[in-house]
Amino acid sequence: MDRAEVEKRVKKVVSQVLNVPEADIRPEHKFTADLGAESVQSLELVAGFEEEFDLEVDEDEALSVQSVGDAIEFFVERL
Amino acid sequence: MSLIEQFIQRAKQAPKRVVLPEGDDERMIQAAVRLVAEGIAKPIVLGAEEEVRALAGGASLAGVTIVDPAKDSRIGAYSAAYAKNRGVAEGLAGRMVKRPLYFGGMMVAEGDADAMVAGVAKATAQVISAAALTVGFSEGVSQASSYFVMVLPDGKVLVFADCAVVVDPNARELAEIAVTTARNAKKLLDVEPRVAMLSFSTKGSAQHAHVDKVREATAIAKEMAPEILLDGEFQVDSAIVERVAKKKCPDSTVGGTANVLVFPDLDSGNMGYKLTQYLGNAKAIGPIMQGFAKPVNDLSRGASVDDIIAVTAIASLQCGG
Repeated sequence: MDRAEVEKRVKKVVSQVLNVPEADIRPEHKFTADLGAESVQSLELVAGFEEEFDLEVDEDEALSVQSVGDAIEFFVERL
Repeated sequence: MSLIEQFIQRAKQAPKRVVLPEGDDERMIQAAVRLVAEGIAKPIVLGAEEEVRALAGGASLAGVTIVDPAKDSRIGAYSAAYAKNRGVAEGLAGRMVKRPLYFGGMMVAEGDADAMVAGVAKATAQVISAAALTVGFSEGVSQASSYFVMVLPDGKVLVFADCAVVVDPNARELAEIAVTTARNAKKLLDVEPRVAMLSFSTKGSAQHAHVDKVREATAIAKEMAPEILLDGEFQVDSAIVERVAKKKCPDSTVGGTANVLVFPDLDSGNMGYKLTQYLGNAKAIGPIMQGFAKPVNDLSRGASVDDIIAVTAIASLQCGG
């Protein structure tokens, strides 16, 4: 899967889980500081990505991902 | 009999179904075996049956319910309930509830267990997240907090909050901590709570925004739970020393005789409990997590089997009834 496709899908998941319009989501955005995620939602984002990309990730590694750009990198490396 | 032994004896009077999601940890299995043998609780251990049996090392698991989330028929219903409660897609919900902490939380939320005890392998923040997203918070409560039971050398028991979780509560959050702590003190200690909202001021003796916060919290807490005996703002001596209270706040019904001390922030709460523990030679039991609609209690990663049993007894008493 190429980077553009990963980015598109990451933004789709972030939009669904955090209820933010996809058009407003940028790679530099941090989930909590910029997109209003509550800390308890971190694992829901991870589960959303798992569902979208149909793979299981290490929970502790995935929870270290703090921004949209980090999430894109994380899945580009794994897909 | 120590206070912990008293909790255990009281828990035995009505053993609760307590889910222990970390079935891949030997201490949890050993605790489950003892909880059954001593009649303290009805443990539900989450994990693959063969793995749980291997960890038991030949000990009888009769009376221990083993549930494997990957094979359990309730996972569909839990996914649907999670998706509905959280407003997320069912696929995402399914990925959440197959995780043991979340499956355990859904068991509690859906009434298939009375309480959950976890944290030997997971961080406190992960236990709090799981509880918040599955069990949810009590009515009128917006976040998790915690309390300590402090046993003084003379046997006197005081409850301190919040000394471990909420860093800088606003007035509303402080009121929630006070009310939640009072209710749990009543369930756990079987005493009438007398709640003091602490400050560096007693009944207007000092003026500052920090004092205003405690005053506002006192008013909100009284409105939230008028049945609770609660007053403020107090300096510590006005709250617990009758002689001082007679001078500084003679008209207060709580002053001088408080048994629940609510600190204005985590700086003061954390220092307060440690000073009492180390300079006052008090025994500190906790932090005990609270604020959820049903009990979910956190363990330290270094918890012993005895610690797990004590926390399970506390969780059982927090169920009430």
